[in-house]
Amino acid sequence: MIRHLLMGTVLAGWMASSAAAETVNILMEGVPDTEYVKTLLPDFKAKTGIDVNLEVVNYAEMHTKLVPQLVAPKGSYSAIVVDFYWVGEFTKAGWLSPLDERITADKIDTSVYVPKLMDLVGKVDGVTYMLPFYNYAMGLLYRKDLLEDAKSKSDFKAANGIDLAPPKTWDEYLKQVAFFTKDGMHGVVNQGLRPDPIAMEWSNYLFANGDEYHDEAWKPTFNNEKGAAALDQYATNVNKYGPVGSASFSFDEAFNVMAQGKAYSYITYNFFRAAIDDPAKSSVVGKVEIMPVPGPNPETGASLNGAWGWAIPKSSPNPDAAWTFIKWVESHETAKKRALQGGSPTRTDIFDDPEVNAKYPYAQALKKMLLTSHNFPVFTYTPQLVEVLGRELSLAVAGEKKSADALATVETEFIELAKKDGKLK
Amino acid sequence: MRRFLADALPHVILALFSALILLPLLWILRVSLTDKLTAYKIPPEIGTLGLMNYVDIFADKPFVLWFANSLIVALLATAIALPVATAMAYAFARFNTGGAFLRLGVLASQMLPPIILLLPLFGMFLLAGLMQSRTAIVIAHLTFALPFLAFMLVAFFEGDVQRLEEAARVDGATRWQAFRLIAVPAAAPGILAAGLLGFILSWNEFLFALVLSGPDSQTLPVGLAALETHAGVEIAPLAAATVLSLLPVFALLPYLRRHLIKGLSLGALK
Repeated sequence: MIRHLLMGTVLAGWMASSAAAETVNILMEGVPDTEYVKTLLPDFKAKTGIDVNLEVVNYAEMHTKLVPQLVAPKGSYSAIVVDFYWVGEFTKAGWLSPLDERITADKIDTSVYVPKLMDLVGKVDGVTYMLPFYNYAMGLLYRKDLLEDAKSKSDFKAANGIDLAPPKTWDEYLKQVAFFTKDGMHGVVNQGLRPDPIAMEWSNYLFANGDEYHDEAWKPTFNNEKGAAALDQYATNVNKYGPVGSASFSFDEAFNVMAQGKAYSYITYNFFRAAIDDPAKSSVVGKVEIMPVPGPNPETGASLNGAWGWAIPKSSPNPDAAWTFIKWVESHETAKKRALQGGSPTRTDIFDDPEVNAKYPYAQALKKMLLTSHNFPVFTYTPQLVEVLGRELSLAVAGEKKSADALATVETEFIELAKKDGKLK
Repeated sequence: MRRFLADALPHVILALFSALILLPLLWILRVSLTDKLTAYKIPPEIGTLGLMNYVDIFADKPFVLWFANSLIVALLATAIALPVATAMAYAFARFNTGGAFLRLGVLASQMLPPIILLLPLFGMFLLAGLMQSRTAIVIAHLTFALPFLAFMLVAFFEGDVQRLEEAARVDGATRWQAFRLIAVPAAAPGILAAGLLGFILSWNEFLFALVLSGPDSQTLPVGLAALETHAGVEIAPLAAATVLSLLPVFALLPYLRRHLIKGLSLGALK
């Protein structure tokens, strides 16, 4: 055994990694969009001669790994991707380099991005720190085959007095949820796990009732009758119309209920639309469609926005090479290639591209979803707000707290956090 | 009949406990041979079994790199920690080096949450230009492997081995000869058991490897964790990679069992 250990010592002579002349190191998460970027890297190498090292880690651990790197005067990462959760923290700490000078010098047109995405993972207080990479706005996945069933159509019309069709309003959707909960089928499956899954999903319910989290002066606007109604509706959906256990489902469990054909609908991240047509993951291939979460009226969408942005940290060892990479990966040509592989675009010109629309007929629905989406509060304490929301929403769903009381607590803590961040006086 | 029941009962209880341990492993094995849809079916279905996930982790994911990094890091950390820890343990047992204070210090280092050590190590590796290298992970793993192995080995050098050494000294052996030719061979089962445990500790370590590694130096635990993504858990490839990552530990298990038991019950004067 000792001999084997010694052999191992000799075997490991090649310990330190050798560095190429110019290499862009990027820390990313293992999502489909990362894989699409990976497949296109040979193009970048051929054009610029620059190597790219994509380091892929688990999302939950990314922040742990990033922060020491960002605090260091010179870290290991040339560029990073930033979840909207971290935008407030990273910009307030001064860890990201402003990109405006580079954008002006290279005549980059940022007006092609969906404006809500630039607000979320682009500009902060008028300064551009990021270019939106991919979106994970939430949409309504629904079973289109069930909506086309003749008997369901007549039964629904008889019971509710309206046609059974993709819901135009939130109220219509809630009626469909109740209607389809029968014969072992669930009207909805929810991702009720605290803190992130429930907080993100419930946000759609809040917007669907016509509320927002705060006004322009950051004064909270959710602790009212509409907010309480949104929370009551959520609790009813979980407890009455959803499968047992959905109060502790994350998106993976909830998606699998939908993928196994046991639920009519699921409000979730739009990249699951492509996954639901993958026969290795789904038994309802071709039977599911996506649409913006319906709002209080047919003109208003209620989807929660979500996205990642490319940024150059101030600790970047080679910011110029990092910018060359970002320009390439966000160019129309590369963004289109990513979208054609199934990526989630952030540019309106990609959503309007004929080839993209031919391959993904739901591209326009996704564009509409983004244009009518709502942003979660982005400030230094976004993760803490998610924790508070997760805790209070879960208590309300479990029946341990009344909806109004839960929202009152969230409001109190939201005010404290916003004051601490200087957003509220 | 009563005798049959008395004989059978312990076997039934043992079988139940064995199932408790084995069933999750068998479940992982089954998932590794199927797709995500079948893996999550309720009630469970066997479905069509195949090796597609194993092909996937070798063809589309850097499983070989993760595995090689883990193996190199664990072997090196153990190879460095074991002789140093053996010498430390011998010094504690024979010369009471540093007294109770130093022994307590070694034990206390085991009680520190790893995150306390992580940031100072990060700063030092950054200054030394060792960030994202396997060297950094090996050194970080020594911070827990060395005190753990030293503390474990002290017990093997105390007690009857000392009398054997004294006999050798009377016969003219030097202190070094007594250590090399008497104490170490006598404690060999313990040293091997400690080495195997050190290897497993390093093989499974996550936090240091996560923060200190780079794309070329990611270890298995860090690589496997990346299969739990923002877009869901890639459960089938994850299961396949988990099955393969268990292999070295399973390969070491017979040695571990034999030497650990031997080590614990060793008595040279029996």
